Formats: sequence, structure tokens, C-alpha cells
Amino acid sequence: MLRDFCVWMEALPSSVALRESLNAYPILLTSHVIGMCAFAGLIMMMDLRLAGVGNRHSSITQVQARLLPWQMVGFGLSVVTGLLLFYGQPMRFYPNFYFWIKNILLVLAGLNMWYFHATTYQTVEQWNHDPRPPRAARVAGVVSLAAWGGVIVVGRMIAYPGLVPQWWLDLGLEGG
Amino acid sequence: MLLPFFEWMQEHPASLYILDNTWFSPIVQVMHLLALSIFAGSVLIVDLRLLGVGVTGTPLAKVARDAQPWFIWAFVALVITGTPSMASTAMKQYFSPFFWWKMELLLLGLIFTFTVRRQLAQADEARMNPIWPKVAGLFSIALWTGVSVGARLIGLLS
Repeated sequence: MLRDFCVWMEALPSSVALRESLNAYPILLTSHVIGMCAFAGLIMMMDLRLAGVGNRHSSITQVQARLLPWQMVGFGLSVVTGLLLFYGQPMRFYPNFYFWIKNILLVLAGLNMWYFHATTYQTVEQWNHDPRPPRAARVAGVVSLAAWGGVIVVGRMIAYPGLVPQWWLDLGLEGG
Repeated sequence: MLLPFFEWMQEHPASLYILDNTWFSPIVQVMHLLALSIFAGSVLIVDLRLLGVGVTGTPLAKVARDAQPWFIWAFVALVITGTPSMASTAMKQYFSPFFWWKMELLLLGLIFTFTVRRQLAQADEARMNPIWPKVAGLFSIALWTGVSVGARLIGLLS
């Protein structure tokens, strides 16, 4: 079903136009990386603070609230360019192992963020200025670093669709 | 003038090993991108503060001091992972305008960061014309964005 959707999308005139444009792909991919720099870079600055290893002269709520708008700018740029990259070549990404892992990791990173804000972060006022926050906050910081780092790792690996487990290739998603 | 050096890199046994190894280049590329994220974060947290946004509740000098080790170590990681990538594709790099664009901006970025931007970050904010930190923050963001754009285009348009 998902496959049919991708096949259908790939045949749309606007998808064809995007795919066949000489400039669209370099512009979109470069913007995707610039968005990543702002988003992942500033998320990681916040994670380092939570983990108790970086930006320790700033309070946690400072780092959290004041960097958020800029993280969102980067996130917006990455999401828009990412969706357009997918829209132009859906059948390139559909059978790609790393593309699927990336989407799973994106969900996990989002869940970690939600869980942390719904639990540990509720008591932030008590440890806002601690250079070394409580264990649960440090764990959330490290988990977030790992999750977003993982997104970047598999995101880059999308360019190597052949370097994947044999069982994945045996699924035959490329199929005709 | 540098052509013999690039030819030497390209033909070096280490380059041949890298090109022959399936996983070497992807792993190095991945680590380069991870280092880039930390590097970009350490640059941006200071530049945003210079612009008068971001973590304004913390004195500028402290934001800059906190960010410095991450800037330096991420840069070291970028050089370590970038060198084998460059060496193994040395001829492509040499003839790519984007490679030289990247390296010239990179040099400018380093000089600017350790001179003007460093001085501004340590100066007394209250006694300074508030326009200068903003100019420096914007200039820094523009420079490092230029480096990243040039770098990405080596692979896409060369």
C-alpha cells in the first residue's frame, strides 16, 4: 500500500519536475544540512547541559527556552527540505534501509523529548542551576544525544543503499 | 603550485587503501557529520548570544568560555575525519572550485573566531557599542554557513 503510494507520487508531474531539475537536489540537500546544523547543533548544546558536561554556566531553563526558537527554525528548514527530497524521489527512499531506521529514530528522539518534559523536567526549578543535574536529567541528555546522533548517522548512510544487511536486500523492496 | 602535493596524496598507499575499503569512507563521512553538529552548536550558541538572543541570561564571556572546548575538539575531529576524505579524493578536490571556496572561508573563519570574535566575547558588554557584537555574530554565522555550503557542494557538483 505504502509502495503504491510512493509509485503514484513518483509519477506526479511536480515530482518528476523536482527530480529532473538540475538545481533542486543540490539546493535542497545543502539546505537540509544547514537546517541540521542549527537544529541538531543547538539540541546537542542543550543535551550537553543536561548531561552536566557543557554550557554549565547557563541555567537549564535558559538553555531550554532561549534556544528553542532557533532549534525550531533549523527543524523547520530540515523538515521542509526533507519532505521535498522525499517527494522528488519516493522510490529511491522507500526501499532504503537507512531511511526507515532514520524515521524510527526520529520517533524515538521525539518520544524521549516528550517523556523528559512530562516527568523529570517538571522539577527543574530545584536543579536549574546545578552544574551537574540529577541522574534522570543526565540520562535524558545522553539518550537525546544518542538518538539525534543516530538520526545523523543513518541520515548520511542513506547515500549507501548497498551497505545494508543481506536480509534487507532479500525483502526485494526495489522490485519492479 | 599545490598540484604535486595533491597528486602525492591521491597516489599515497593510504588513499588506495581507503578507496579499496567498502566501509572506511562511509564511516569517516558519518563521523565528520557528527563532529559538524557539535561544531555548529558551539558556534551558534555564542553567535546567537552576540546577536542579543539565545542565552541572554548568562554573561557573554561565560557562554563563550563554556563553548570553547566543544568548538576546539569538534574542529579537531573535523580535521581528523576530513583529512582521509580529502586525501583519497585529492584530484577531485583540487579541481573543485567548492573545495577552495570551503578552505578559504575556513581559514578566514578560524582567524576571525580567534581574533575579533574572541576579543568581543571577552570585552565588557556594558561599555561597548551594541552594534559590534551583532555584526560579529552575523558575520560568523555567514562565514561558517559558507564553509558548510561549499563543503556539501564538493560532493554534489564536482
